[in-house]
Amino acid sequence: MRMRLKLKTVFVLYFTVSLLGLIYALMQLDQQISQLRGELQKLQEHIKTSELAKKTDVPRIYVITPTYARLVQKAELTRLSHTFLHVPHLHWIVVEDAPQPTLLVTDFLAASGLTYTHLHQLTPKDRKLQEGDPSWLKPRGAEQRNEGLRWLREMGAAAEGKEAAALEEAVVYFADDDNTYSLQLFEEMRYTYRVSVWPVGLVGGMKFERPVVEDGKVVRFHTGWRPNRPFPMDMAGFAVSLRFILTTPQARFDGDAQMGFLESSFLQHLVTMDDLEPKADLCTKVLVWHTRTEKPKMKREDALQKQGLGSDPDVEV
Amino acid sequence: MPKRRDILAIVLIVLPWTLLITVWHQSAIAPLLAIRKADDGTETRHETGPATDSKEYCSQDKDIVEVVRTEYVYTRPPPWSDVLPTIHVITPTYSRPVQKAELTRLANTFLHVPNLHWILVEDSQRRTPLVMRLLRETGLNYTHLNVETPRNYKLRGDTRDPRIPRGTMQRNLALRWLRETFNSNSSQTGIVYFADDDNTYSLELFEEMRSTRKVSVWPVAFVGGLRYESPKVNAAGKVYGWKTVFDPHRPFAIDMAGFAINLRLILFKPQAYFKLRGVKGGYQESSLLRELVTLSDLEPKAANCTKSLFS
Repeated sequence: MRMRLKLKTVFVLYFTVSLLGLIYALMQLDQQISQLRGELQKLQEHIKTSELAKKTDVPRIYVITPTYARLVQKAELTRLSHTFLHVPHLHWIVVEDAPQPTLLVTDFLAASGLTYTHLHQLTPKDRKLQEGDPSWLKPRGAEQRNEGLRWLREMGAAAEGKEAAALEEAVVYFADDDNTYSLQLFEEMRYTYRVSVWPVGLVGGMKFERPVVEDGKVVRFHTGWRPNRPFPMDMAGFAVSLRFILTTPQARFDGDAQMGFLESSFLQHLVTMDDLEPKADLCTKVLVWHTRTEKPKMKREDALQKQGLGSDPDVEV
Repeated sequence: MPKRRDILAIVLIVLPWTLLITVWHQSAIAPLLAIRKADDGTETRHETGPATDSKEYCSQDKDIVEVVRTEYVYTRPPPWSDVLPTIHVITPTYSRPVQKAELTRLANTFLHVPNLHWILVEDSQRRTPLVMRLLRETGLNYTHLNVETPRNYKLRGDTRDPRIPRGTMQRNLALRWLRETFNSNSSQTGIVYFADDDNTYSLELFEEMRSTRKVSVWPVAFVGGLRYESPKVNAAGKVYGWKTVFDPHRPFAIDMAGFAINLRLILFKPQAYFKLRGVKGGYQESSLLRELVTLSDLEPKAANCTKSLFS
């Protein structure tokens, strides 16, 4: 009898312990389930956004980049392409300052994996910067950007049906090949009705230049230089809807414009300050930087070339 | 009759245990898998404390597999592969106006490279929020370290009087971190590359360096006052000299970005570091490489060093 009692208590103890263990294990499972649920949610968001790339009704961004042959051209275009490859529905319009397309750019674009259009337009000699001129002496890229606009207008006139509808929503952005663009910038500009604007970092001798926004409207511009220009902004600080460009054929860049007035020469055909759409959290975030690339020092190369011992010109740099 | 009761008793004893063990097995294996993946360097991030002389660092949440990259909507690195060797890219950085821009476009390039682990080392007393936020938002697999170069050793504005070449202490800290994190006995495949934050890298470069057995080398553009510098490769595919103008008689007349080292070699020679003091201009790279390889061990890449993949 005593023995049976002992056994009973043993069993009772045993069942209590294993029951507690089971409850603990179930709690662990529960934690795991909530963790997995969190991951699932994140993955679902991930899928949703990667589907954005496959969706066809997302506005296209046309990026016009003037470029010219110099030592760092390939390096600049390379890292630019690395950024653009992440942006869905981007069409890159590269306009060379050359009498005909160069092999370097042709091969580069073909291998880049991007959707692109390769154009060229030579700057007339009197408008071109000479070796040794400071970079601000003459506006650069005006002819090339106008060529890009011309191509867009030609395409717009010829488009019909679905393609024409897609062009109605598209946005045009002028991206120089030595600036730095964050990926968020392109999503900010994608939905532009007329002209959207945002801050630009490291430009005009300032940490940043930007439109000052009050009550959702641009009231003036924060800039260090000549704030009385009609649009004291950098080329990288605005985007224009394609529809607007197509319906305003007189909007083009004035290659003879005074220093710093190139952007204004284009924008004043299109919009007034009141109509500007501020982006980037009402122009409080810097999503693009006006970086400049140092010209590489070629002293030794020049010295060697004089001796006929320069670097192998067959190696494309 | 007693037999049946015994059987019943045995069943009742065994049943809860099997249930418990199964559930325990399930919940125990999952975090274990995560830890193993963490050692491969998949989704976890390690964040280290300040000074170089302190041996401790806290690693956060090793066993939670976080898919951080989905927080930043349009970017994602390629899926982690189990077969590709990891490329550990060591980048020293310091605060200045263009820092965020440089790191942004560097990240945009790195997001295209599979199995890339970015080790960013700040020259600062503390890890700055700017860099922390940037790293988090990129979605890259990264490790954020920092070590401050002592003021009297910092480059003083002009480069005519360099005390410690810029970035040395930071690169050494990263090497130390690698040695502390990876066991030299493990079968970790990895490549170590030193990438400064103001250079441009092509995507092919990373694929070329992935097959490094010991130390691989290639041409570098716009360095040393030339269109490009490169190793001289003979018909047998071996490096026998350097095509540079600036002191071609250095043991390794190559730029920091012109070579990559197999991780195993780094772990195998734990004393090899960049020399801090008394290094002549341009000899930084040699100070590390000569402790690791000889000239004949170098593997030329980029079509036997005829293509320029980097500037």
